[in-house]
Amino acid sequence: MEIPSFPIAIMMVVATADSRIKRTYALAEAKRASTLLKGERKETIMKIANNFKWKLEPAQPRPNLLNYDFALDFKDYIRNAAIIQHKKWKLVNRMLSKGEVFLTKVEVCRLLEEEVRRYIEQKLQVKVKSLSPDIMNRINRLKQLFYEKRGKTSWEEIPSEVIIIAYPPCIKRLHETISSGHHLSHIGRFTLTTFLVNIGMTTENVVDLFRSLADFKERMTRYQVEHIAGLKGSRTKYIPPQCDTLRTHGVCPGMDDICRRIRHPLAYYRRKLRIIKTEAPLAPGA
Amino acid sequence: MIKIDTKAFIQAKFSEYYEKNSLNIHPPSSMEKREFGFLLLKERIMLRHKAFKTAQEFRDSFKTLIPSHVYFSSAYYERPEEEMEEKGWLGADLVFDIDADHISAPCSKTHDTWSCPHCKTTGRGTPPKKCPKCNKQKFEEKTWPCEICLESAKEETIKLIDILTNDLGFSTNEMSLSFSGHRGYHLHVESKDILTLNSTSRKEIVDYIVGIGLDPQLHGLSKIGGPNLDDFGWRGRIARGTYEYLLSATPEQLEKIGLPRGVIQSLGKHKERILESWKYKGPWTMIKGVSFESWSKIAEQALKNQAAKIDTVVTTDVHRLIRLADTLHGKTGLKKTETSIATIEEFDPLKSAVAFPHGTASVDVSEAPKFRVGSEFHGPYRNEKVELPMAAALFLLCKGSARITEVGSSVR
Ligand code: SF4
Ligand SMILES: [Zn+2]
Ligand SMILES: [Zn+2]
Repeated sequence: MEIPSFPIAIMMVVATADSRIKRTYALAEAKRASTLLKGERKETIMKIANNFKWKLEPAQPRPNLLNYDFALDFKDYIRNAAIIQHKKWKLVNRMLSKGEVFLTKVEVCRLLEEEVRRYIEQKLQVKVKSLSPDIMNRINRLKQLFYEKRGKTSWEEIPSEVIIIAYPPCIKRLHETISSGHHLSHIGRFTLTTFLVNIGMTTENVVDLFRSLADFKERMTRYQVEHIAGLKGSRTKYIPPQCDTLRTHGVCPGMDDICRRIRHPLAYYRRKLRIIKTEAPLAPGA
Repeated sequence: MIKIDTKAFIQAKFSEYYEKNSLNIHPPSSMEKREFGFLLLKERIMLRHKAFKTAQEFRDSFKTLIPSHVYFSSAYYERPEEEMEEKGWLGADLVFDIDADHISAPCSKTHDTWSCPHCKTTGRGTPPKKCPKCNKQKFEEKTWPCEICLESAKEETIKLIDILTNDLGFSTNEMSLSFSGHRGYHLHVESKDILTLNSTSRKEIVDYIVGIGLDPQLHGLSKIGGPNLDDFGWRGRIARGTYEYLLSATPEQLEKIGLPRGVIQSLGKHKERILESWKYKGPWTMIKGVSFESWSKIAEQALKNQAAKIDTVVTTDVHRLIRLADTLHGKTGLKKTETSIATIEEFDPLKSAVAFPHGTASVDVSEAPKFRVGSEFHGPYRNEKVELPMAAALFLLCKGSARITEVGSSVR
């Protein structure tokens, strides 16, 4: 890693105060790190892994365990592998013995990428007080650039991605809660599902969102989502409850400026979309 | 003869137990960081968010509260007495629950009953999805701890322990194993390395144990070979499962999993060769007419018997409340009883969990299947008055299957 530039880059990303930019940056840094690591010697990889407190050792060759470079404590393994989607990363599809998972060098680098990504994301959680107007100007320019590039391309291709920045606070929070595998109340679930279905997310993607829940049942969830989308049963498409109702049930985390001008989460979304579209191309500092 | 109320009698017995035994009830490790929960016998309400600073305070609570169930959190909190959001989660032990309810042994048809509270329809075994008469979906269930159910729960527990030690590398010193006091076993792992695992990570452990998402092809099953009996982890389990499955499966069972006629015939014809093949590389490629697809189906089926049937919700929940050892189970009057892992094979739960070894009581039984508490069998009963050893009598009373009529003379 280019160490000298690293802290400055971090500081600038923090200053954008934009979670999407932060995530994108962390992922890019992590990917770069893991690519570099793949070319490193085993000893170097071990050192880095041990820095993150991993229990990683060279695999002792055994008759029915060939072709592996490393043995990693399974707890370190699942902490990093659990969110990688492909089935080959599921613990159950791994060779395990006495608490150790057997891995190739390339696989260890991929897992380190997750560790690095989380490490950087966590570093980006801090708040910077105030930077000079000059630096802030540059940061804002970068921010606009990011929106222009990312916003546009992903606009057509993966609408669910770009739309996230237009979510009202309540939806943002529900989305984060569920993505981290935590439970939602019944009304929380209903609000999130109806919202996403109404802004055009596919049933598939909505169902995927619930996948990380411990009691996830594919068929059940799919049925419920399709029902809400009006594809099943009564054929009525449901919409989210009003802000009012959401406040009563503790789903509203507190209003921001736009919230004060609307009475419904979907209205928030439409309004915010308009603002983003008009604001994005403006000159920095405007 | 004194006339006694059943509820008051149960309460008196529970109170007596806690008066006599509170010194034998040990606080869990780091007691002050745990949440405790009590279901109160008399008021029938759940007291949650309790916390104790001293062992004395902890023991006194049983005597004053007289709970029908006592729980403690697998989690550690900064402020266990606060509401959930305010507690400050610090970590949680790894806990497993194996309950006959999740195994559904064939005997459940003979001893379990259900009734629809709406229209009073009743039936045997596990309740249907919908009431056959009124279509309602809620039922009152009565399940019984029977020899066979408990034996199958024990088998699952032994499989679980094997996976936890051989695959996941936990030491038996980090585990405590107990009979729950009703229909199953609890296994509690205390190890500082697992404390902060989140629910997503715990789900990976659960999937490993239950074999969810397992793909035999990622364990070496291919067109040119397959796993061996002595392989590590799931690889070995797939091989051993296949070995056992092919020994015991009937042609009908093989047909059920979708094997073509020809394949079933081949498997039957080459039984000897298959057995022999395990000494070398297994039968995977050497039986003519059995394709890779067929082997995949066989392996898929075989691994089901190798998995341990744990309650998946309990293990992934990082805020779970667990029954405390040596306290009474309100549905049976038996106590949750710890046993050593080394001697689990010989462990007799229905004998070890007896909390009232002395005295007798006469009860009026409405209905009970044949059952055992202690070393004696009792029943089946139907609308009869019987005199029973205290533990057996209390068992029926707690189950709601009998009313107390008389207390034997040896009880003070
Ligand atoms: S006020 Fe309405 S839109 Fe705004 S956060 Fe609350 S619920 Fe969401
Ligand atoms: Zn009914
Ligand atoms: Zn049974």
